[in-house]
Amino acid sequence: MRYAFFPGCTLESAAEELMISTKKVAAALGIELIELNGWTCCGASHIQDVDDFLATTINARNISLAEELKVDKLLTVCNTCTLMLRTAKLKMDKNEKLRTKVNEGLNRSGMEYKGSVEVTHLLWALIQDYGLDNLKKLVKRPLTGLKVANFYGCHILMPPNVMGFENHMNPQSMEMVAEVLGAKSVDFEQRLACCGFHAVFPAEKEVMNLTGKNCLSPKAAGADCLVTPCPLCQMQLDAYQPDAQKEFKEDITIPVLHLPQLIGLALGFTPEELAIQRHVVDAIPALKETLQLQIV
Amino acid sequence: MYSTLYIKIRRFDGKKEWYQGYHLPYEKGRTVLWALTTIREQMDPTLVFTSACRHAICGSCAVTINGNAFLACKTSLDEVLETFQTPHLIFEPLKNFEVIKDLAIEWEPKMEKMEKVKPWLLPTEEGSKELGFKQSEEDYHQIAAPTDCILCGVCTSECNQLAVNDGTYLDPFILNRAYRFVVDSRDGSPEEHIRPVFENELWKCLHCMQCVSKCPKGIPLTEQIAFLRQESIRMGEVNNQGARHAFAFHDDVRNKGRLNEMTLPIKTDGLVNTAMRKVPFALRMIKKGKINPFHMPKAVEGIKGVREIYQYAKEVGE
Repeated sequence: MRYAFFPGCTLESAAEELMISTKKVAAALGIELIELNGWTCCGASHIQDVDDFLATTINARNISLAEELKVDKLLTVCNTCTLMLRTAKLKMDKNEKLRTKVNEGLNRSGMEYKGSVEVTHLLWALIQDYGLDNLKKLVKRPLTGLKVANFYGCHILMPPNVMGFENHMNPQSMEMVAEVLGAKSVDFEQRLACCGFHAVFPAEKEVMNLTGKNCLSPKAAGADCLVTPCPLCQMQLDAYQPDAQKEFKEDITIPVLHLPQLIGLALGFTPEELAIQRHVVDAIPALKETLQLQIV
Repeated sequence: MYSTLYIKIRRFDGKKEWYQGYHLPYEKGRTVLWALTTIREQMDPTLVFTSACRHAICGSCAVTINGNAFLACKTSLDEVLETFQTPHLIFEPLKNFEVIKDLAIEWEPKMEKMEKVKPWLLPTEEGSKELGFKQSEEDYHQIAAPTDCILCGVCTSECNQLAVNDGTYLDPFILNRAYRFVVDSRDGSPEEHIRPVFENELWKCLHCMQCVSKCPKGIPLTEQIAFLRQESIRMGEVNNQGARHAFAFHDDVRNKGRLNEMTLPIKTDGLVNTAMRKVPFALRMIKKGKINPFHMPKAVEGIKGVREIYQYAKEVGE
């Protein structure tokens, strides 16, 4: 299996551990990821607030880089990157006039958006393309006893006319993956909540409040850790947890893993190989205790 | 399919709150409003909810089911059962509203809040009540989607910012109403609608996409919010965290193609505020190896083409 790969800015800077774990997991699964040469930031749900045509055009450029690789799909591991790329694609594919206008801009540097490549997320690709049965065959260390709280993040679900992989009001993909890995998914109030990351600067107070709630809810449900398919949710829930703690009397501490890290654990990698030690809230003690990993 | 549904409704009598369950015989092809009406007519005449037109026009019958807001008359019960995969449904009043009784909510404070954006036409000099207005077909289509709003409150219920806000932030339907007059070719003072929108925390929208995903009329609410932000920038409101943050992304892509996470807080908050507020955050990121303070992104391959796109967008945008 071959995908064009769009890492997104977070994997290059604040979430390098997601780059490390994604590459290890993909290699172990026999999935070839070809990083786009010359990709740019997707706009992160901000550039359209300055110029929406520009936001569409830079992502048309990103997608056209994938088209040049002659692959069927462009894969990401970030909810917001997926949404930004898919939003641009949907607009281009349904509006001939816009597409012509965008392509006029791309033509200046010899590029063209054709519309031949789909945009997907690792979570979807595992279910839709790879097959969970095939994933299950490669599980070396079932995550028996690990109670995970799946935090989807908004942008992998909504808006449904752009995303549409599963019902946005009752998604099951994360639970399906967790089950195959042997982990137990716990239900919790904030499962489909917003992490608030995109407004953490202008709405700091509100977002810290939200972060606290998003940590307390899975704790109350008995989860050992949160797991998310989005590096931005991960950063908000993990790296800002000490800031959010200041607003709460109760202990809100809960570790937060990236989805590929959870998969990697089941494939037999050590937490260190998946760079889990890089998280602000230390996940390793809980993992070692629950999974009875050897202390290295 | 199920033979019986178990519907638990959150009741409120003005003082106390409780959940009450009703066993409802399942019937195929019914709406959520049918379920409510059947419960009230056949099981419990004390149940209070509002509804009128039954045709998704009056906007009075929205409720939440299992935490999600729906317009009861427009929503197929079968679709709800299919979505949640259970015959156990929990009906509650819309979120982010005061509750009057059971499922009936208070609209008055919301209407008062809406007045802030001057939700009426401030006519241009070319037209008047007596003379009327000429509007092209294209201009008319600008207001077609926003005037579909029926004030049902679904967007308010789903808004994640309103859930944690002190009440200043404007409900998505209010932003829609402001947008509706800003883009109306007959309105001569768009700034008078945008100014209060900007001043009431326009940049606090969390980009969660709930409003646009749940609106029963399919109004592109999030695109409208982006437009209102663009307009506030055009009016010169660039010196605030929201606009500076958006410009940090905008400018980084032009300069290098990618975001520079080290300079992002400084661009958004300024050097002094960053030093005062974000240092503990930065230190913890550096300590864990999450951020490498010496990583300076190089310009991506093809950056010349990226900058040409910026140039092009500027040319065609004017």
